[in-house]
Amino acid sequence: MQTTRWRWLTVLALMVGVLAAAGCGDDEEDTGAAETTATTPTRTFPAGTTMARLQQAGTITIGVKFDVPPFGFKNPRSDELEGFDVDLGRRIAADLGVRPRFIEAVSDNRIPFLKDGTADLILSTMTITAERDEEIDFSEPYFIARGRVLVKDDSDITGVDDLAGKKVCTALGSTYEETLKREAPRADLRLVDSYSECLELIQNGAVEAVSTDDVILTGMIIQDDSLKLVGEPLTTEPYGAGIKEGDDAFRRFVSDVVQAWKRDGGWAEAYQKWVGQYTDEQQDPPTMTLAEALKLN
Amino acid sequence: MGALFEVLTENFDQLARGFWVTLRLVGASFAIALVVGTVVAALRIAPSAWLRRLGGVYVETFRNIPLLVLLFISFAGLRRAGVPISNWTAGIGSLGLYTAAYVAEVLRSGVFAVSKGQVEAALSLGFSHNETLRRIVLPQAFRTVIAPLGSITIAMIKNSAIVGVSLLALPDLLKEARIVQSRTFETDETFFWAAVGYLLITAAATIAFRALERRFAIRR
Amino acid sequence: MTYLFDPDNWEWLITANNARFILEGFLVNLQIAVIAMVFSLAVGLALALARVSRMPWLRVAGGAWVDLWRNLPLIFIILYLALALPERWRDAYEDAAPEFLPDVLQTGRVFAALLALVLYNSAVIAEIMRAGILSLDRGQGEAAAALGFTPWQRMRLVILPQGLRRMVPATVSQLITLNKDTTLVSIIAIQEVMRHGRIVTGFNFFGGVQAPVLQVFVFIGLLFVATNLALSRLSRRLEIREQRRTGTTLKPVSGLEDQVTTAQAR
Repeated sequence: MQTTRWRWLTVLALMVGVLAAAGCGDDEEDTGAAETTATTPTRTFPAGTTMARLQQAGTITIGVKFDVPPFGFKNPRSDELEGFDVDLGRRIAADLGVRPRFIEAVSDNRIPFLKDGTADLILSTMTITAERDEEIDFSEPYFIARGRVLVKDDSDITGVDDLAGKKVCTALGSTYEETLKREAPRADLRLVDSYSECLELIQNGAVEAVSTDDVILTGMIIQDDSLKLVGEPLTTEPYGAGIKEGDDAFRRFVSDVVQAWKRDGGWAEAYQKWVGQYTDEQQDPPTMTLAEALKLN
Repeated sequence: MGALFEVLTENFDQLARGFWVTLRLVGASFAIALVVGTVVAALRIAPSAWLRRLGGVYVETFRNIPLLVLLFISFAGLRRAGVPISNWTAGIGSLGLYTAAYVAEVLRSGVFAVSKGQVEAALSLGFSHNETLRRIVLPQAFRTVIAPLGSITIAMIKNSAIVGVSLLALPDLLKEARIVQSRTFETDETFFWAAVGYLLITAAATIAFRALERRFAIRR
Repeated sequence: MTYLFDPDNWEWLITANNARFILEGFLVNLQIAVIAMVFSLAVGLALALARVSRMPWLRVAGGAWVDLWRNLPLIFIILYLALALPERWRDAYEDAAPEFLPDVLQTGRVFAALLALVLYNSAVIAEIMRAGILSLDRGQGEAAAALGFTPWQRMRLVILPQGLRRMVPATVSQLITLNKDTTLVSIIAIQEVMRHGRIVTGFNFFGGVQAPVLQVFVFIGLLFVATNLALSRLSRRLEIREQRRTGTTLKPVSGLEDQVTTAQAR
């Protein structure tokens, strides 16, 4: 009986050892967030505000997409997160004087993450809608995307009216569920967890169309140029940063950073780097206000 | 309390659709699992070593691979390789073939429970190996393992939820519940009803198998 | 068929960091499985003791608890907890998570996954342990009572050591199921092997070798088959050894998915 006890203990010790050894060698994490703090002197904020709390903690947790180029995606070679949303996130963190820590926020859990505090901020291609505004708060719009339909080059679908009876993919929890039910009620909707799955499905022929924001679709075209956009824009999708409901001070802070970013050329630089160079389109920083965006959607 | 029933009445159609899809998924997979499982069990006790090994490879592969990986391979993987498999086929195929491995194992142990004397008698009477299997051994084997088959079925019902969650995008009960939740944000209420749905199905299966056991089981 | 074995389609395995990236993800799965198992053993033991206790309300409550968690789909429990877990609990976990764990396992979401796995798995372990305890000859318990052991001493010194030893093979089998179940946590966006696999297949944003879905997931499948096969061999060897030692075979516990049934032809 003594030997049994020792055997159990050694097994337990071995398992703990395995965990420890694995932990030691494994410095990479799902955030790619070993960022060095900005050395510029930072503002101080009134005690009790979220900004002060974040400065105290030294990091801000930002929910971004991990698999939606060019707005938020993880480069497996560098293990870094990159994209338009990520750049804005870094800018907000820098202005706050803290390190950004990125976590993955898929369409389904963006709002729950804000509500329960898992994330301090959401920059995850999130459209400002009146319905969402009841659950969380938004900053001023930082990008205007438009809803489009993506099909294969050889498809005979020319727009949303041709989608009746066709299999169309979009993400669970996104605004397109409702949009498609309205615009193409007889389409066969396939809802998945993330847009990378939609890309997989259209590439292997399981669905015939994908519908979501044009920039996300452009990201897919960049990865696979046998796809194309068709039809008129379905919707206007102003993106806003997501903030916990009721936190007015933080919301104002983030909106201020967004406006400054638009004014001082940061927006233009990010746009060119992530969208402009692929689409050859020119766009100016959006002037739409939050109030206008809420009326729209 | 009001919210609980409100969620059900307002979304009943959607949740009921999901429930129905889950039932069909479970039914079709069960049929596949029984048929394929029987074949594989027969392979495992075949006279030819080659066939036995084939059966063994099947069982070891499908028991040790996660269902989610299998779903990716059977749907996305095959489609990329040029096989135009539908998400429905991939779903019932994966769940069915996965469960078949367990059915085969359980049947095999049932086969061993059939007394050797019967097999010898049958063979000496001129029955072929296959006939012996079909008429004497397998029927009794099935009757011996009704209880474990019930457990396997319950496990399969639970695994059906994995199919809905994968990129096959089949609108089963769990999927519809998630859709309703993402729209209404009534998490506890929606998941409560989904749980009720699954428990109904597993309870029905348990009762069915217990009835089968009372009627058909051979005790050893 | 030729698509499967075409060497071009396997080129991704040796380029960039792909293979290592996937293996790192696999390691996360293994770690989650081990952590969940350790806690499941502790909780499962408590549940099993409740189920064999002499107080009827404890037996009934324990039985109801075990039945509940064993009949719900695990993915259901994971999704529900991921959505419904209160912020305080998540924060508490993040504070309490020891530093030697990789960062992936220190996020609050992993707590939801682990909690789900433990709730489910401990119920199964409880059943295994109960079977082990009940399989003991009643004479043992009675002899111990005759010798003046208190019920607690009886449990601790006589029944548990023997009963628990008998269920080691079944527990190792359950580890196989747990291993497979860890892939489900990919649904709540935890960066383990399935996620890493999808990143590798999706990713040619900057050009480079496109990893085909079929090959990547066949590779991941092989990783699991190899690991689980080793575990099932271990389980079988343990079971045979236990049989030789005590001459008893533990009857298969009802409802377990991955029991290594050694078909006995007596």
